[in-house]
Amino acid sequence: MNIKEYISSGIVESYVLGLASEEERSEFEQLCKQYPELIKARTEFEMELEGLAFKNAISPSEDLKSKVFNEINTQTKVISMSMDSLGRTNWWRYVAAACILLLAGSIYLNIILSNKNNKLKNDYNNTSAELAVMKKDIEKLRGNPDVKMASMKGTEISPQSFATVYWDTTTHDVYLMLNNLPKPASDKQYQLWALLDGQPIDIGLIDNKYFVEQDKLLVRAKNIQNAQAFAITLEKKGRADISKPGGPIYVVGNL
Amino acid sequence: MNSETTYSEQELVLLLQQRNNKAFGYLYDHYSAALYGIINSIVTNREIANDVLQNVFVNIWRKIDSYDSEKGRLFTWMLNIARNASIDEIRSKGFRDSQKNQSLDDNVNVTAGAAMSVTEDVGLRKILSKLKEEWRVLIDLSYFQGFTHEEIAKVLNMPLGTVKTRIRSALNHLRTVIK
Repeated sequence: MNIKEYISSGIVESYVLGLASEEERSEFEQLCKQYPELIKARTEFEMELEGLAFKNAISPSEDLKSKVFNEINTQTKVISMSMDSLGRTNWWRYVAAACILLLAGSIYLNIILSNKNNKLKNDYNNTSAELAVMKKDIEKLRGNPDVKMASMKGTEISPQSFATVYWDTTTHDVYLMLNNLPKPASDKQYQLWALLDGQPIDIGLIDNKYFVEQDKLLVRAKNIQNAQAFAITLEKKGRADISKPGGPIYVVGNL
Repeated sequence: MNSETTYSEQELVLLLQQRNNKAFGYLYDHYSAALYGIINSIVTNREIANDVLQNVFVNIWRKIDSYDSEKGRLFTWMLNIARNASIDEIRSKGFRDSQKNQSLDDNVNVTAGAAMSVTEDVGLRKILSKLKEEWRVLIDLSYFQGFTHEEIAKVLNMPLGTVKTRIRSALNHLRTVIK
Protein backbone atom coordinates (compact mmCIF):
# COMPACT_ATOMS: atom_id res chain seq x y z
CA MET A 1 0.00 0.00 0.00
CA ASN A 2 1.15 3.48 -0.84
CA ILE A 3 0.59 5.08 2.56
CA LYS A 4 1.19 8.60 1.26
CA GLU A 5 -1.57 8.21 -1.25
CA TYR A 6 -3.80 6.68 1.38
CA ILE A 7 -3.16 9.58 3.73
CA SER A 8 -3.98 12.18 1.10
CA SER A 9 -7.09 10.36 -0.09
CA GLY A 10 -9.31 12.10 2.41
CA ILE A 11 -9.62 9.02 4.62
CA VAL A 12 -7.91 10.75 7.56
CA GLU A 13 -10.49 13.53 7.58
CA SER A 14 -13.29 11.10 6.92
CA TYR A 15 -12.18 8.95 9.85
CA VAL A 16 -11.70 11.80 12.31
CA LEU A 17 -14.99 13.48 11.40
CA GLY A 18 -16.85 10.23 11.90
CA LEU A 19 -17.86 9.93 8.25
CA ALA A 20 -15.99 6.73 7.47
CA SER A 21 -17.90 3.48 7.13
CA GLU A 22 -17.40 0.64 9.59
CA GLU A 23 -15.11 -1.12 7.10
CA GLU A 24 -13.05 1.98 6.43
CA ARG A 25 -12.74 2.58 10.16
CA SER A 26 -11.37 -0.84 11.00
CA GLU A 27 -8.99 -0.71 8.03
CA PHE A 28 -7.79 2.70 9.19
CA GLU A 29 -7.26 1.48 12.74
CA GLN A 30 -5.34 -1.55 11.49
CA LEU A 31 -3.09 0.62 9.34
CA CYS A 32 -2.45 2.98 12.26
CA LYS A 33 -0.73 0.12 14.01
CA GLN A 34 1.63 -0.33 11.06
CA TYR A 35 2.22 3.23 9.92
CA PRO A 36 3.23 5.84 12.49
CA GLU A 37 2.93 8.48 9.76
CA LEU A 38 -0.77 7.70 9.54
CA ILE A 39 -1.17 8.40 13.25
CA LYS A 40 0.81 11.60 12.75
CA ALA A 41 -1.50 12.70 9.95
CA ARG A 42 -4.54 11.83 12.02
CA THR A 43 -3.29 13.76 15.05
CA GLU A 44 -2.46 16.77 12.86
CA PHE A 45 -5.96 16.91 11.49
CA GLU A 46 -7.45 16.36 14.93
CA MET A 47 -5.51 19.36 16.24
CA GLU A 48 -6.61 21.50 13.29
CA LEU A 49 -10.20 20.49 13.83
CA GLU A 50 -9.91 21.19 17.53
CA GLY A 51 -8.50 24.62 16.74
CA LEU A 52 -11.36 25.26 14.35
CA ALA A 53 -13.92 24.19 16.92
CA PHE A 54 -12.38 26.51 19.51
CA LYS A 55 -12.37 29.35 17.00
CA ASN A 56 -16.07 28.81 16.40
CA ALA A 57 -16.97 28.16 20.01
CA ILE A 58 -20.23 29.49 21.45
CA SER A 59 -20.50 29.85 25.22
CA PRO A 60 -23.51 28.09 26.67
CA SER A 61 -25.54 29.82 29.39
CA GLU A 62 -24.19 29.59 32.92
CA ASP A 63 -27.03 27.55 34.40
CA LEU A 64 -26.34 24.64 32.05
CA LYS A 65 -23.27 23.59 33.99
CA SER A 66 -25.19 23.11 37.23
CA LYS A 67 -27.84 21.15 35.34
CA VAL A 68 -25.17 18.82 34.00
CA PHE A 69 -23.62 18.40 37.46
CA ASN A 70 -26.98 17.72 39.04
CA GLU A 71 -27.61 14.99 36.55
CA ILE A 72 -24.21 13.33 36.81
CA ASN A 73 -24.25 13.46 40.59
CA THR A 74 -27.52 11.60 40.79
CA GLN A 75 -26.03 9.09 38.40
CA THR A 76 -22.75 8.82 40.29
CA LYS A 77 -24.43 7.17 43.23
CA VAL A 78 -25.54 4.35 41.04
CA ILE A 79 -22.18 4.11 39.32
CA SER A 80 -20.08 4.18 42.49
CA MET A 81 -22.20 1.51 44.10
CA SER A 82 -21.69 -0.82 41.21
CA MET A 83 -18.00 0.02 41.20
CA ASP A 84 -17.71 -1.04 44.83
CA SER A 85 -19.42 -4.30 44.28
CA LEU A 86 -17.41 -4.91 41.15
CA GLY A 87 -14.20 -5.08 43.01
CA ARG A 88 -12.67 -1.94 44.29
CA THR A 89 -12.37 -1.03 47.95
CA ASN A 90 -14.91 -3.14 49.79
CA TRP A 91 -15.65 -6.06 47.55
CA TRP A 92 -14.79 -8.55 50.30
CA ARG A 93 -17.56 -7.17 52.48
CA TYR A 94 -20.09 -8.10 49.89
CA VAL A 95 -18.53 -11.48 49.45
CA ALA A 96 -18.51 -11.99 53.22
CA ALA A 97 -22.12 -10.85 53.49
CA ALA A 98 -23.09 -13.18 50.68
CA CYS A 99 -21.24 -16.04 52.38
CA ILE A 100 -23.00 -15.41 55.69
CA LEU A 101 -26.34 -15.33 53.94
CA LEU A 102 -25.55 -18.53 52.12
CA LEU A 103 -24.38 -20.17 55.30
CA ALA A 104 -27.49 -19.10 57.20
CA GLY A 105 -29.64 -20.40 54.38
CA SER A 106 -27.74 -23.65 54.35
CA ILE A 107 -28.07 -24.14 58.13
CA TYR A 108 -31.76 -23.43 57.96
CA LEU A 109 -32.20 -25.94 55.18
CA ASN A 110 -30.13 -28.46 57.08
CA ILE A 111 -32.38 -28.18 60.09
CA ILE A 112 -35.51 -28.52 58.02
CA LEU A 113 -34.16 -31.45 56.06
CA SER A 114 -32.77 -33.14 59.14
CA ASN A 115 -36.14 -32.84 60.89
CA LYS A 116 -37.86 -34.23 57.85
CA ASN A 117 -35.30 -36.99 57.66
CA ASN A 118 -35.76 -37.91 61.33
CA LYS A 119 -39.49 -38.06 60.90
CA LEU A 120 -39.15 -40.31 57.87
CA LYS A 121 -36.71 -42.50 59.78
CA ASN A 122 -39.15 -42.82 62.67
CA ASP A 123 -42.04 -43.55 60.37
CA TYR A 124 -40.00 -46.15 58.60
CA ASN A 125 -38.86 -47.79 61.84
CA ASN A 126 -42.39 -47.87 63.19
CA THR A 127 -43.77 -49.28 60.00
CA SER A 128 -41.16 -51.99 59.68
CA ALA A 129 -41.63 -52.95 63.34
CA GLU A 130 -45.36 -53.25 62.75
CA LEU A 131 -44.75 -55.26 59.63
CA ALA A 132 -42.40 -57.61 61.49
CA VAL A 133 -45.03 -58.23 64.16
CA MET A 134 -47.65 -58.89 61.51
CA LYS A 135 -45.38 -61.31 59.70
CA LYS A 136 -44.80 -63.14 62.94
CA ASP A 137 -48.53 -63.24 63.57
CA ILE A 138 -49.24 -64.66 60.15
CA GLU A 139 -46.59 -67.32 60.67
CA LYS A 140 -48.27 -68.26 63.90
CA LEU A 141 -51.67 -68.57 62.24
CA ARG A 142 -50.47 -70.48 59.24
CA GLY A 143 -50.90 -74.17 59.58
CA ASN A 144 -51.71 -73.90 63.25
CA PRO A 145 -54.44 -76.44 64.06
CA ASP A 146 -55.36 -74.56 67.22
CA VAL A 147 -56.40 -71.44 65.30
CA LYS A 148 -60.08 -71.05 64.60
CA MET A 149 -61.43 -68.71 61.99
CA ALA A 150 -64.58 -66.65 61.92
CA SER A 151 -65.59 -65.04 58.65
CA MET A 152 -67.66 -62.00 59.37
CA LYS A 153 -70.08 -61.07 56.59
CA GLY A 154 -71.54 -57.69 55.93
CA THR A 155 -74.86 -56.80 57.46
CA GLU A 156 -77.66 -55.01 55.67
CA ILE A 157 -76.12 -51.61 56.09
CA SER A 158 -72.93 -52.76 54.41
CA PRO A 159 -73.44 -56.00 52.49
CA GLN A 160 -70.09 -55.74 50.69
CA SER A 161 -68.16 -55.69 53.94
CA PHE A 162 -66.13 -58.62 54.99
CA ALA A 163 -63.58 -59.29 57.75
CA THR A 164 -61.99 -62.34 59.30
CA VAL A 165 -61.06 -63.16 62.87
CA TYR A 166 -58.43 -65.72 63.73
CA TRP A 167 -58.55 -66.94 67.28
CA ASP A 168 -55.88 -69.06 68.83
CA THR A 169 -57.69 -71.38 71.19
CA THR A 170 -54.60 -72.14 73.24
CA THR A 171 -53.01 -68.69 73.59
CA HIS A 172 -56.36 -66.86 73.23
CA ASP A 173 -54.77 -64.36 70.89
CA VAL A 174 -57.18 -62.66 68.50
CA TYR A 175 -56.22 -61.48 65.04
CA LEU A 176 -58.43 -59.51 62.77
CA MET A 177 -58.08 -59.29 59.04
CA LEU A 178 -59.79 -56.32 57.48
CA ASN A 179 -60.71 -57.78 54.14
CA ASN A 180 -63.17 -55.15 53.09
CA LEU A 181 -64.54 -52.44 55.28
CA PRO A 182 -65.39 -48.90 54.20
CA LYS A 183 -63.07 -46.27 55.54
CA PRO A 184 -64.73 -44.65 58.53
CA ALA A 185 -65.31 -40.89 58.78
CA SER A 186 -62.66 -39.17 60.83
CA ASP A 187 -64.94 -38.87 63.86
CA LYS A 188 -65.92 -42.55 63.72
CA GLN A 189 -64.06 -45.70 64.54
CA TYR A 190 -64.69 -49.46 64.21
CA GLN A 191 -64.76 -51.67 67.28
CA LEU A 192 -64.32 -55.43 67.42
CA TRP A 193 -66.50 -57.49 69.72
CA ALA A 194 -66.46 -61.08 70.87
CA LEU A 195 -69.94 -62.46 71.47
CA LEU A 196 -70.42 -64.90 74.28
CA ASP A 197 -73.87 -66.03 75.28
CA GLY A 198 -75.37 -63.09 73.42
CA GLN A 199 -73.22 -60.60 75.32
CA PRO A 200 -70.71 -58.39 73.47
CA ILE A 201 -67.24 -58.18 74.94
CA ASP A 202 -64.95 -55.38 73.76
CA ILE A 203 -61.76 -56.73 72.28
CA GLY A 204 -60.45 -53.56 70.78
CA LEU A 205 -60.96 -50.33 68.89
CA ILE A 206 -59.62 -50.45 65.39
CA ASP A 207 -57.38 -47.55 64.60
CA ASN A 208 -58.42 -45.65 61.48
CA LYS A 209 -54.83 -45.76 60.21
CA TYR A 210 -55.51 -49.32 59.07
CA PHE A 211 -57.86 -47.96 56.48
CA VAL A 212 -55.34 -45.77 54.76
CA GLU A 213 -54.52 -48.30 52.11
CA GLN A 214 -56.39 -50.93 50.25
CA ASP A 215 -54.23 -53.74 51.53
CA LYS A 216 -55.79 -56.37 53.71
CA LEU A 217 -54.31 -55.88 57.10
CA LEU A 218 -54.02 -58.21 60.00
CA VAL A 219 -54.64 -56.42 63.25
CA ARG A 220 -54.05 -57.86 66.63
CA ALA A 221 -56.91 -57.50 69.06
CA LYS A 222 -57.22 -58.15 72.80
CA ASN A 223 -57.09 -61.68 74.05
CA ILE A 224 -60.36 -63.37 74.77
CA GLN A 225 -60.87 -66.48 76.85
CA ASN A 226 -63.93 -67.69 75.07
CA ALA A 227 -66.17 -66.60 72.21
CA GLN A 228 -68.93 -67.94 69.99
CA ALA A 229 -69.03 -65.18 67.44
CA PHE A 230 -67.38 -61.91 66.50
CA ALA A 231 -68.73 -58.63 65.21
CA ILE A 232 -67.57 -55.18 64.23
CA THR A 233 -69.56 -52.04 64.95
CA LEU A 234 -68.99 -48.49 63.85
CA GLU A 235 -68.78 -46.22 66.86
CA LYS A 236 -68.32 -42.56 67.60
CA LYS A 237 -64.73 -41.76 68.27
CA GLY A 238 -63.75 -40.98 71.87
CA ARG A 239 -66.99 -42.02 73.52
CA ALA A 240 -66.89 -42.48 77.32
CA ASP A 241 -67.96 -46.08 77.80
CA ILE A 242 -66.45 -48.40 75.27
CA SER A 243 -67.54 -51.59 77.01
CA LYS A 244 -70.97 -51.50 75.34
CA PRO A 245 -71.60 -51.16 71.63
CA GLY A 246 -73.60 -48.13 70.53
CA GLY A 247 -73.28 -47.98 66.78
CA PRO A 248 -74.52 -50.18 63.94
CA ILE A 249 -73.04 -53.62 63.27
CA TYR A 250 -71.10 -53.79 59.98
CA VAL A 251 -69.96 -57.38 59.96
CA VAL A 252 -70.73 -60.43 62.06
CA GLY A 253 -69.73 -64.11 61.95
CA ASN A 254 -69.71 -67.30 64.03
CA LEU A 255 -66.62 -69.22 64.93
CA MET B 1 -13.15 30.42 38.16
CA ASN B 2 -9.78 29.66 39.59
CA SER B 3 -9.36 26.57 37.50
CA GLU B 4 -5.73 27.42 37.00
CA THR B 5 -4.93 23.75 37.18
CA THR B 6 -4.32 22.38 33.75
CA TYR B 7 -4.27 18.73 32.97
CA SER B 8 -2.60 16.82 30.24
CA GLU B 9 -5.11 14.87 28.20
CA GLN B 10 -3.84 11.65 29.74
CA GLU B 11 -4.28 12.91 33.29
CA LEU B 12 -7.68 14.26 32.48
CA VAL B 13 -8.88 10.96 31.04
CA LEU B 14 -7.51 9.05 34.00
CA LEU B 15 -9.23 11.33 36.51
CA LEU B 16 -12.47 11.22 34.56
CA GLN B 17 -12.36 7.46 34.54
CA GLN B 18 -12.13 7.66 38.33
CA ARG B 19 -15.24 9.85 38.24
CA ASN B 20 -13.37 12.86 39.57
CA ASN B 21 -15.77 15.78 39.84
CA LYS B 22 -13.08 18.45 39.72
CA ALA B 23 -11.64 17.05 36.52
CA PHE B 24 -15.10 16.94 35.06
CA GLY B 25 -15.60 20.57 36.02
CA TYR B 26 -12.39 21.41 34.22
CA LEU B 27 -13.51 19.43 31.20
CA TYR B 28 -16.78 21.32 31.12
CA ASP B 29 -15.16 24.73 31.53
CA HIS B 30 -12.58 23.95 28.92
CA TYR B 31 -14.60 22.23 26.21
CA SER B 32 -18.30 23.09 26.60
CA ALA B 33 -18.15 26.19 24.36
CA ALA B 34 -16.32 24.37 21.57
CA LEU B 35 -18.82 21.51 21.73
CA TYR B 36 -21.73 23.91 21.97
CA GLY B 37 -20.45 25.53 18.78
CA ILE B 38 -20.60 22.19 17.00
CA ILE B 39 -24.03 21.41 18.37
CA ASN B 40 -25.35 24.78 17.23
CA SER B 41 -23.99 24.27 13.75
CA ILE B 42 -26.25 21.21 13.47
CA VAL B 43 -29.18 21.91 15.79
CA THR B 44 -30.51 25.35 14.97
CA ASN B 45 -32.87 25.66 17.91
CA ARG B 46 -31.07 27.11 20.97
CA GLU B 47 -33.28 25.41 23.53
CA ILE B 48 -32.83 22.03 21.93
CA ALA B 49 -29.11 22.73 21.59
CA ASN B 50 -28.99 23.27 25.37
CA ASP B 51 -30.61 19.90 25.96
CA VAL B 52 -28.20 18.27 23.56
CA LEU B 53 -25.18 19.81 25.28
CA GLN B 54 -26.44 18.59 28.63
CA ASN B 55 -26.90 15.08 27.26
CA VAL B 56 -23.50 15.17 25.64
CA PHE B 57 -21.73 15.91 28.92
CA VAL B 58 -23.75 13.32 30.79
CA ASN B 59 -22.78 10.82 28.11
CA ILE B 60 -19.14 11.81 28.28
CA TRP B 61 -19.26 11.20 32.04
CA ARG B 62 -20.97 7.87 31.60
CA LYS B 63 -19.01 6.56 28.65
CA ILE B 64 -15.53 7.81 29.49
CA ASP B 65 -14.40 4.21 30.13
CA SER B 66 -15.00 3.42 26.47
CA TYR B 67 -12.71 6.20 25.28
CA ASP B 68 -9.65 4.66 23.61
CA SER B 69 -6.72 7.04 23.23
CA GLU B 70 -5.26 4.81 20.51
CA LYS B 71 -8.11 5.74 18.24
CA GLY B 72 -7.80 9.47 18.63
CA ARG B 73 -7.70 12.49 20.84
CA LEU B 74 -10.15 13.10 23.66
CA PHE B 75 -11.60 16.13 21.92
CA THR B 76 -12.23 14.17 18.72
CA TRP B 77 -14.08 11.58 20.76
CA MET B 78 -16.21 14.24 22.45
CA LEU B 79 -16.76 16.05 19.17
CA ASN B 80 -18.17 12.89 17.66
CA ILE B 81 -20.43 12.35 20.63
CA ALA B 82 -21.70 15.91 20.20
CA ARG B 83 -22.18 15.53 16.46
CA ASN B 84 -23.96 12.20 16.77
CA ALA B 85 -26.23 13.50 19.52
CA SER B 86 -27.06 16.55 17.43
CA ILE B 87 -27.84 14.54 14.33
CA ASP B 88 -29.95 12.11 16.34
CA GLU B 89 -31.84 15.12 17.57
CA ILE B 90 -32.53 16.70 14.17
CA ARG B 91 -33.55 13.32 12.84
CA SER B 92 -35.93 12.67 15.72
CA LYS B 93 -39.60 13.13 15.09
CA GLY B 94 -39.96 15.70 17.82
CA PHE B 95 -37.41 17.97 16.21
CA ARG B 96 -38.88 17.57 12.76
CA ASP B 97 -42.29 18.48 14.12
CA SER B 98 -40.90 21.58 15.79
CA GLN B 99 -39.24 22.61 12.55
CA LYS B 100 -42.19 22.00 10.25
CA ASN B 101 -42.71 25.66 9.56
CA GLN B 102 -39.13 25.77 8.32
CA SER B 103 -39.92 23.41 5.45
CA LEU B 104 -37.56 20.60 6.38
CA ASP B 105 -39.18 17.61 4.83
CA ASP B 106 -39.16 14.44 6.85
CA ASN B 107 -38.22 12.31 3.92
CA VAL B 108 -34.88 12.24 2.25
CA ASN B 109 -36.24 13.40 -1.08
CA VAL B 110 -35.55 16.96 -0.24
CA THR B 111 -33.55 19.00 -2.65
CA ALA B 112 -30.12 19.97 -1.56
CA GLY B 113 -31.07 23.60 -1.92
CA ALA B 114 -34.00 23.30 0.45
CA ALA B 115 -31.89 21.41 2.92
CA MET B 116 -29.31 24.13 2.78
CA SER B 117 -31.78 26.90 3.37
CA VAL B 118 -32.71 25.55 6.76
CA THR B 119 -29.59 26.59 8.51
CA GLU B 120 -27.40 29.60 8.56
CA ASP B 121 -23.69 29.27 9.02
CA VAL B 122 -23.28 29.03 12.76
CA GLY B 123 -20.25 27.78 14.62
CA LEU B 124 -18.23 25.24 12.75
CA ARG B 125 -20.53 25.57 9.81
CA LYS B 126 -18.87 28.86 8.94
CA ILE B 127 -16.17 26.79 7.32
CA LEU B 128 -18.64 25.85 4.59
CA SER B 129 -18.63 29.33 3.15
CA LYS B 130 -15.00 28.83 2.28
CA LEU B 131 -15.75 25.83 0.12
CA LYS B 132 -16.80 25.56 -3.50
CA GLU B 133 -20.56 25.05 -3.91
CA GLU B 134 -20.42 21.39 -4.94
CA TRP B 135 -18.24 20.53 -1.96
CA ARG B 136 -20.18 22.68 0.42
CA VAL B 137 -23.37 20.74 -0.26
CA LEU B 138 -21.62 17.41 0.21
CA ILE B 139 -20.02 18.40 3.51
CA ASP B 140 -23.21 19.95 4.74
CA LEU B 141 -25.33 16.93 3.95
CA SER B 142 -22.89 14.36 5.21
CA TYR B 143 -21.28 16.04 8.18
CA PHE B 144 -23.81 18.57 9.41
CA GLN B 145 -26.98 16.75 8.49
CA GLY B 146 -25.75 13.22 8.94
CA PHE B 147 -27.00 11.80 5.66
CA THR B 148 -25.38 8.57 4.57
CA HIS B 149 -23.59 8.41 1.24
CA GLU B 150 -26.50 6.39 -0.13
CA GLU B 151 -29.00 9.02 0.95
CA ILE B 152 -26.90 11.80 -0.56
CA ALA B 153 -26.63 9.88 -3.82
CA LYS B 154 -30.41 9.74 -3.88
CA VAL B 155 -30.92 13.37 -2.91
CA LEU B 156 -28.42 14.72 -5.40
CA ASN B 157 -29.29 12.13 -8.01
CA MET B 158 -25.64 11.16 -8.28
CA PRO B 159 -23.98 7.74 -8.57
CA LEU B 160 -22.89 6.44 -5.16
CA GLY B 161 -19.27 6.10 -6.30
CA THR B 162 -19.20 9.74 -7.36
CA VAL B 163 -20.61 10.82 -4.00
CA LYS B 164 -17.90 8.90 -2.21
CA THR B 165 -15.01 10.27 -4.20
CA ARG B 166 -16.36 13.80 -4.16
CA ILE B 167 -16.83 13.74 -0.40
CA ARG B 168 -13.28 12.49 -0.05
CA SER B 169 -11.91 15.33 -2.15
CA ALA B 170 -14.19 17.81 -0.42
CA LEU B 171 -12.75 16.68 2.90
CA ASN B 172 -9.28 16.91 1.49
CA HIS B 173 -9.98 20.43 0.40
CA LEU B 174 -11.58 21.27 3.73
CA ARG B 175 -8.24 20.52 5.28
CA THR B 176 -6.49 23.21 3.28
CA VAL B 177 -9.23 25.66 4.20
CA ILE B 178 -8.88 24.95 7.91
CA LYS B 179 -5.18 25.59 7.74
